[in-house]
Amino acid sequence: MMRRSVLMLTLAAAALSACHKKKPPEVVPPRAEAPPAAPRVNEDSIRRAQMRQDSIRRAEAAAEAMREGSARARATLEQTVYFDYDQADLRADAKAALDAKLGILRASPGVNVRIEGNTDERGSVEYNLALGMRRASASKEYLTGFGLDGGRFETVSYGEERPVDMGHDESAWARNRRADFRITSGGDNVRTGQ
Amino acid sequence: MTLNTNMLKNLQSSLRPCVSAPLREKRSASLTLIIFAIVLANPLAAQRQDTTKLPSGVRLRVTYQQMTRPKVAVRPFGGATTAGSLAEQVTTIIKNDLDFSDRFVISDIMPEKLSGTGTPDFKAWNSMGIVYLLTGEVAPASAGYLLHVVLWDVVYGTGKQAMTYSLPAATSPDFRLMVHRVSDDVVKWATGQQGMAASRIVYRHKAGTGDELVIIDSDGQGSHRFFANDMLIYSPTWSPDGQRIAYAQQTGRGWQLVERDVHTGNVKIITSRNDFILTPAYSPDGRHLAFALWTGQGTEIDDYDAVQRCCMRRISKNPRDDISPTYSPDGTQMAFMSNRIGQPHIYVMPANGGDPTLVSPYVYGEPGYYTSPDWSPIGNRIAFHGRSKGEFQIMTADPTRPGSEVQQITSSGRNEDPSWAPDGRHLVFTGVREGGTGLYVMDVETGRLRPLVLGGRYTIADWSPSLKPNSEVR
Repeated sequence: MMRRSVLMLTLAAAALSACHKKKPPEVVPPRAEAPPAAPRVNEDSIRRAQMRQDSIRRAEAAAEAMREGSARARATLEQTVYFDYDQADLRADAKAALDAKLGILRASPGVNVRIEGNTDERGSVEYNLALGMRRASASKEYLTGFGLDGGRFETVSYGEERPVDMGHDESAWARNRRADFRITSGGDNVRTGQ
Repeated sequence: MTLNTNMLKNLQSSLRPCVSAPLREKRSASLTLIIFAIVLANPLAAQRQDTTKLPSGVRLRVTYQQMTRPKVAVRPFGGATTAGSLAEQVTTIIKNDLDFSDRFVISDIMPEKLSGTGTPDFKAWNSMGIVYLLTGEVAPASAGYLLHVVLWDVVYGTGKQAMTYSLPAATSPDFRLMVHRVSDDVVKWATGQQGMAASRIVYRHKAGTGDELVIIDSDGQGSHRFFANDMLIYSPTWSPDGQRIAYAQQTGRGWQLVERDVHTGNVKIITSRNDFILTPAYSPDGRHLAFALWTGQGTEIDDYDAVQRCCMRRISKNPRDDISPTYSPDGTQMAFMSNRIGQPHIYVMPANGGDPTLVSPYVYGEPGYYTSPDWSPIGNRIAFHGRSKGEFQIMTADPTRPGSEVQQITSSGRNEDPSWAPDGRHLVFTGVREGGTGLYVMDVETGRLRPLVLGGRYTIADWSPSLKPNSEVR
């Protein structure tokens, strides 16, 4: 109950703040030319129609802001975390990236994530599968350590099988020693953590 | 099970003599000359990032044993007209096999007057420095052919050994294998030792989005696809009788450890899990199958009763990873890789579990990385790959002398994941080298290297035991 009301407040606040800083609403194209209105038209009905239009515009702007915030949140959530050679320990930059995901995951309880551990091409093919798994697990454990439900995370390892950089130098290897995050469900309901 | 500080200290002090020894030459009583270059590790200069020196405790095998290799000539095999082209084919296969055995120097000179059939002109061959001469005749038989070969001792001017074999038709899958067995017999007649021509290598090929297992003859010919999966395949390994290959495969639901019959393609699922299974290895008697599996925290080794097909049992335990089990030839011990001390190292323990002993060189404060052990099928040598001068190289160690006598076998490019041939002197491994990327074969006695298959993502090769033609098995 408590959580839900907090969520509602958050949503409302998000919608409101979005209204203020939003760029001017798009100009609604005039409706197909109707014959000139009869002089005896009711002033009230015009005003009501205007208010209705404004309300739709405001709702659309809020929805747009939500969508933008949601897209940003999704990007943060799916941001890759990097590791040192033969290590599954989280570096400072990895922890920072995970911290950024933390708020979003708390604000979006319906969102589940698959964490995919990867390694560079060097070393034992099989040991690298285990190393990738430990990278995925370390990322998951960090997040669940802050109280998130472990059931929301699926961990897999692709070892050295799925490099993002096919190069054979340190810069390529550094890009390949990583944990990728993929939203597996609830992707339409990602909320910003603020 | 975890190494304590005292054990590490002891280990370190036991390594020290090896580390601080100056450059030295070692000359044995025979003609054998072994030179080991020992690169000094200056402890003051030791830095984690220093990749210019060999790891302490590793000796680079710069010059290999120069064993006397007798000069051998293979006279073009004779054959009646119907068997003529087949005789040429057989001659080529056997000549290559004898060359790849790395036990002989093969003569390329074949004077016209000596190439005819009949009893050899020993004097003429002797004057060319030939020690052994191999001759052969192919004749059509009711089913296939008969091959009669003779190994001649040129020095003493006598026949050393002769044998008649029945060969299947050249289109039979057993044809090349049967000819390879003839080559192994010739090796045995001449040297008294086990060859490896009649063996095959299974490896993984990353083909597009999926993986496939490919089997290839020891001479790099006759490759064919054994199994394909649209997801990952790991760790193919031959059963000791050469009839099955076990491997781990990813499925839509998780992972399976399976055995597939080499001839029939019949599949038996050993176990299915949500998380990965890796590195199966048969015990030499085929009664056990050890493999690694993800437990949630790390990778551990389980033992499976391959006779009763049951009774999985955990035989290793530590908070990190244990992986890549490989049995000693007598089946009593098992080498494996563990990162229990924070770096991957090679250990040996009793085959049914117990306290492990460190085999790869550990030096306090220095980075180490040693993985993918494979125990020689004939002796006290474990091959693995280790990090040296910033790259991975193939190394071997004697498990009866833990922490010492690690020899670095390769020194060019990046080389990983060795597997022993049944002769215990050739290794197949993955190489990223100037000559190309793929699988290479090296003779650890002479250091001679040849490409097996290049130009693709070919990895995790496993060399079979000596194979018999399928017709003989049934």
